[in-house]
Amino acid sequence: MSDTAQTSVSSNKPFPIATKPFAPDDEAALREALKRCSPSTFEAAVQFRKTGNADHMPAVVIGVIERFVEPDLRAKLKDADDDLRLIEDLGIDSLTMMEIVILVEDVLQLTINNDELRNLRTVGDVKTFIDCKIRGLPLPRPTKFLPIEHIGAVMPVQPPFLFLNEASVSSTGANGKYKITGQEFFLQGHFKDNPVMPASIMLEALGQLAVLFLLEGAATEPGKEIGANTIFFTGCEGVRAHRMCKPGDILTLSIKPKRMKMPLATFEGAIRVGQEKAVIAEDITLTFAFVESVVAPSAVNGTAQPAADGEHSATPPLRVAMNG
Amino acid sequence: MTVVTMGRAALQSMPRVFITGLGFVTSIGNDAATVAGSLRELRHGIELYPPFQKPEIACKVIGTVKGFFTDSVDPEDWTWPAPYEIKRETIRSMAPHGLYAHCAFLQAIADSRLSEADISNRDTGLYAASGGSPMLTYYHHDRMLKLGPARCSPLGIVASIVGTLNFNLVAAFKIQGASCGFSSACASSAHAMAFAFDEISLGRQKRMFVVGGEDGNRDAILPFAGMRTLSLQTDPGLASRPFDSARDGFVGTGGGVVVVLESEDEVARRAVAPYCEILGWGQASDGYNVAISHPDGTGSRVAMENALAASRVAPGEVDYVNAHATSTLIGDVSEARALRAVFGEKGARPAISSTKALTGHGLSLAGAMEVGFCALSMREGFIPGSAHISKLDPECHGLNIVRSTVSVAPRIVMKNSSGFGGANVALLMRRT
Repeated sequence: MSDTAQTSVSSNKPFPIATKPFAPDDEAALREALKRCSPSTFEAAVQFRKTGNADHMPAVVIGVIERFVEPDLRAKLKDADDDLRLIEDLGIDSLTMMEIVILVEDVLQLTINNDELRNLRTVGDVKTFIDCKIRGLPLPRPTKFLPIEHIGAVMPVQPPFLFLNEASVSSTGANGKYKITGQEFFLQGHFKDNPVMPASIMLEALGQLAVLFLLEGAATEPGKEIGANTIFFTGCEGVRAHRMCKPGDILTLSIKPKRMKMPLATFEGAIRVGQEKAVIAEDITLTFAFVESVVAPSAVNGTAQPAADGEHSATPPLRVAMNG
Repeated sequence: MTVVTMGRAALQSMPRVFITGLGFVTSIGNDAATVAGSLRELRHGIELYPPFQKPEIACKVIGTVKGFFTDSVDPEDWTWPAPYEIKRETIRSMAPHGLYAHCAFLQAIADSRLSEADISNRDTGLYAASGGSPMLTYYHHDRMLKLGPARCSPLGIVASIVGTLNFNLVAAFKIQGASCGFSSACASSAHAMAFAFDEISLGRQKRMFVVGGEDGNRDAILPFAGMRTLSLQTDPGLASRPFDSARDGFVGTGGGVVVVLESEDEVARRAVAPYCEILGWGQASDGYNVAISHPDGTGSRVAMENALAASRVAPGEVDYVNAHATSTLIGDVSEARALRAVFGEKGARPAISSTKALTGHGLSLAGAMEVGFCALSMREGFIPGSAHISKLDPECHGLNIVRSTVSVAPRIVMKNSSGFGGANVALLMRRT
């Protein structure tokens, strides 16, 4: 918006809880402010304002976002995972994002700086961000969206054995997509005249996403990074396949770290096709090792550089062409 | 003589310009058929206006827009007639008159049978005129001062400032050609019409949407009370009576009107029947007073003479003049004097009426709205009477001010508009 926007990502002051009690007047103002939101949004906001309990925050944030989403897209929010993207999936433009922010600021009584907004791309980003604001925690690294070129550049695994077309990595997990083209070499024999994606390959795809998380999203010690050639599969448990996956299916993969302690990292993983469960893995464990960081161009250093996102970098919410 | 000859030669090579579509949200109707009926039968749209029914407000009536609710500063509270579907994303940056004009725009598109491709291309532009939205300007500014800039709506500016109409419509209808707004107060949308005509006749555009709009609500109308220029009549049927000797000021109104102009090539290509042709226009300024028209109507007179010359029409050829006359004491007389100088002194007696007797004065909306009325009168075959005159002002002697509707289709029509600062515009149209 303005070049003079404050540059104070780090100045994340704790929420001034209970600086003044929640008065009936405040409740009336809150009711007015949230009049187009669901009753549960209002209730959550009242509870939050009375108690300062951050557990009520997600309901408020989702309720406010829902109010600004066109009615025909609201269904997406109902069973949304945190990777639902504000711009691409919900049709929220940068001006609507400002409307959301102003209402959230008003309702939760906090202040959000312009530059803090730029990195909020998913519903999960917003929830995590507000949660950190309220608890006075340092802000997390934003979700990175990685196109295939970027994935190919950092992964030790390469085609024809790379099963990720695109991925996003945040500090809390990673998500990816893979479309079964039917051209995969192993489908010629698995099975005869009946191409079915092998469950072992689907597990491999989840493992690859976990590798990507270790390389792009995992917190490391200063001066250290996880070496791409140090990561290997050690084991998995609780694997269940629920659905056959065939050429044309788009696999939606997600992993979340459960435990991470050198040299082991354990993830839970899931694959869906549309809304249908395809594969669940309760534990996927990888081994890894740290190596000395090399001073590399920031694009491969894991720093979120818009340029690295290539065509996938949507306009940051506030970098709108305000010609007025 | 040489100059005139060259001018004519140049004019003959210019594309002719036609009106091919109309859309109306006005105090006398929200579609062309209703508006035409109101004009023919002299049904006015003026009512007692609830926000004015207070002891401290002497003015009581306005020309109300029916079927819409736009009193709230929150566009999501607004309601509009059923046929129109408009998304939150579209109305959130609009003033009330943006909503009116958006609905009129949809009518004009249907009326002129334009496809999406006809509307969104580099050869199709949009000129608009409105006074902005005083209601929203005040609301957003007050909020900024009270709550700080961080709590201001990001769309407050584009919803309220002058230009809101063109910003919103250009975006909503994906206009890619020329676009801008015009600001000459009550001559604004006549200027928009005139320059849109130029845009086509100079070959720069093939099609232009001309849009006029006004909120016409308390905040838009009541400031004129400071000038003592609003009618204090409480009888809605008597309040607006241009050229009557008992007139006591104008009656405000709002709405939105859209007029579609197209080049003769586009008219032929699309095989549509236009309402009329726009022949040309003229303008001139009084150079006299910031708000009061010149008592002799000097600017208005020159504007009319310029329009006639540019259109190569003799005064005697004009069948009907839709006057600017707003029912103010000074304004009506100065226009009457200008009309006498242009027509009466040349022995011409065109029928003259002011349709503001029916609608009220639409300010920036007026010019486009009344060009729309002229187009309807040519197509439907009548000259609307100048309503509510019981005793004609003697200053109007020698003028053929028609008090009732004449069932004759005028062939050549003049539309006058005047605004603050003594800006005057006259447009000439011909039945096709």
